[in-house]
Amino acid sequence: MKRRDFVRTTALISGCSLVAPSVLSRDVGRSKSVKSNRLTILHTNDTHSNIDPFPMNHAKYPGKGGVARRYELIQKIRTEEENVLLLDAGDIFQGTPYFNLYGGVLEMKLMSKLGYDAVTMGNHDFDGGMDGFVKAVEYANFPFLCSNYGFSNTPIDGITREHLILEKGNMKVGIFGIGVELNGLVPKVKFGETKYFDPIEIANDQAQQLKEKGCDLIICLSHLGYAYDDDQVSDLVLARRTKNIHLIIGGHTHTFLERPVEEKNMAGETVLINQVGWAGINVGRIDFEFEFKKFEKKDVLFVQ
Amino acid sequence: MIHKYLIVFFIGAGLLACSSVTGIGFEAEQIAVTGANSSDNVIDSLIRPYKVKMDAKMDSTIAIADQDFTKGRPGGALNNWAADAIYNQVEQSIKDQLPKLCLLNVGGLRNPINKGNVSLGDIFKLMPFDNEVVAVKLPMSTIEEIEAYFKKSGGEPISGAMVKAGKIRFVEDYINPRFFWVITSDYLLGGGDHMDFFTKGIEIQNTGLLMRDLMLKEASEQGRLIWDNEIRISF
Repeated sequence: MKRRDFVRTTALISGCSLVAPSVLSRDVGRSKSVKSNRLTILHTNDTHSNIDPFPMNHAKYPGKGGVARRYELIQKIRTEEENVLLLDAGDIFQGTPYFNLYGGVLEMKLMSKLGYDAVTMGNHDFDGGMDGFVKAVEYANFPFLCSNYGFSNTPIDGITREHLILEKGNMKVGIFGIGVELNGLVPKVKFGETKYFDPIEIANDQAQQLKEKGCDLIICLSHLGYAYDDDQVSDLVLARRTKNIHLIIGGHTHTFLERPVEEKNMAGETVLINQVGWAGINVGRIDFEFEFKKFEKKDVLFVQ
Repeated sequence: MIHKYLIVFFIGAGLLACSSVTGIGFEAEQIAVTGANSSDNVIDSLIRPYKVKMDAKMDSTIAIADQDFTKGRPGGALNNWAADAIYNQVEQSIKDQLPKLCLLNVGGLRNPINKGNVSLGDIFKLMPFDNEVVAVKLPMSTIEEIEAYFKKSGGEPISGAMVKAGKIRFVEDYINPRFFWVITSDYLLGGGDHMDFFTKGIEIQNTGLLMRDLMLKEASEQGRLIWDNEIRISF
């Protein structure tokens, strides 16, 4: 039995109507129409070529993780929910000999089979060099979203895209990717002519574009890292210094958050940040419930 | 654990955006991926041929460790073993008569070597990255920068030299050399871990050899891995 021990409401603008808490309950049988106002986000980060579960004698995570098990739990959720998105925040490569021996091909095949909708690139996804990345990605049936790397004049040019808009049920979801500064993290020879653009500036621009395109939910897949002691841009900083983003799915710092963290953005609105450790030990799940404006008679422009 | 929340946000009238959402609630949980999967899992069958081939390769024993090798700061048995391994394997290939040291990074040693049989897979876990070994010729004037780096980081694997009271001392004596060689990885040379002194290199010798392959070679040559827990760094 799943425990629900944390219920509250946050009204960001007074006078707004709130979604009735009852519609949030997963146990209550719901009609199709309610289900199509519901969106389930499943996400991973920093899986680092961990394809098999950790061995049972592993000091920290005995028997945890494993792509086969992840597949089964995702499939189960897909049978229960109408609208599911599966996302990853990067560092898919490097960490087990699967990567060293097969160059990331198996990771791409598996993630395709799991039905990932979109992912972003982490610094370790450059470890096979850009040609290595391009070769592996031939086996991926999902897009890599990168909006603050400039890949012109590199082998990756045209392989990634800045953002993606997906229609799920009644919702339009905009997703974009933000990467970490590669200088100092990745040997220069592996990222070559890749240009790095300011994550805050680009994220604001991407979120604005997605908003103008009518997205109901805007998600940033970030490989910046959750938080730093110094002034390096992190997900916390990104959340505070941007607007129009609803959810930041983070990675890089291998942070195990117990639940999504809420931050206020530039406009005083709530942004969620989530990150689920590394190695596929956990899958993050966030169920969103949308309430749509009810049209009043005066709004109806065309009447049949 | 599931957490339920409601967030509400506002699409003001008259905005360009055509989203007609007036409120979003959410609940969340972090799902642990644990327990066995069913035996007819399609993912397992996709993995199997890759795994069989990999396991056969990885399980082969290449050496024996009489004690645990762990890394640490300022030093540790793993720091010493790794730096010595790279130093021993590469030192001969640098022909001129200048001081040489091997400098690696603690962060790059990804797994301890546990007491017992050491398999190919263990060395892969220790050094999963495909980093190449390079040698960089640096002017003596950079020594102080390296010393400052050691002081800041608290210690990195070193061989061919020691850091005594914060000062680098080469194991062999040299008379007023103007340059010295640092054997390291292309990752560190390329700006990794911000070892910025490498930008002052006046000559770079590429070995074309992977760190991991050299560690494997050294391990098989040693047979029983040499355990040296001497702390080579003091401030």
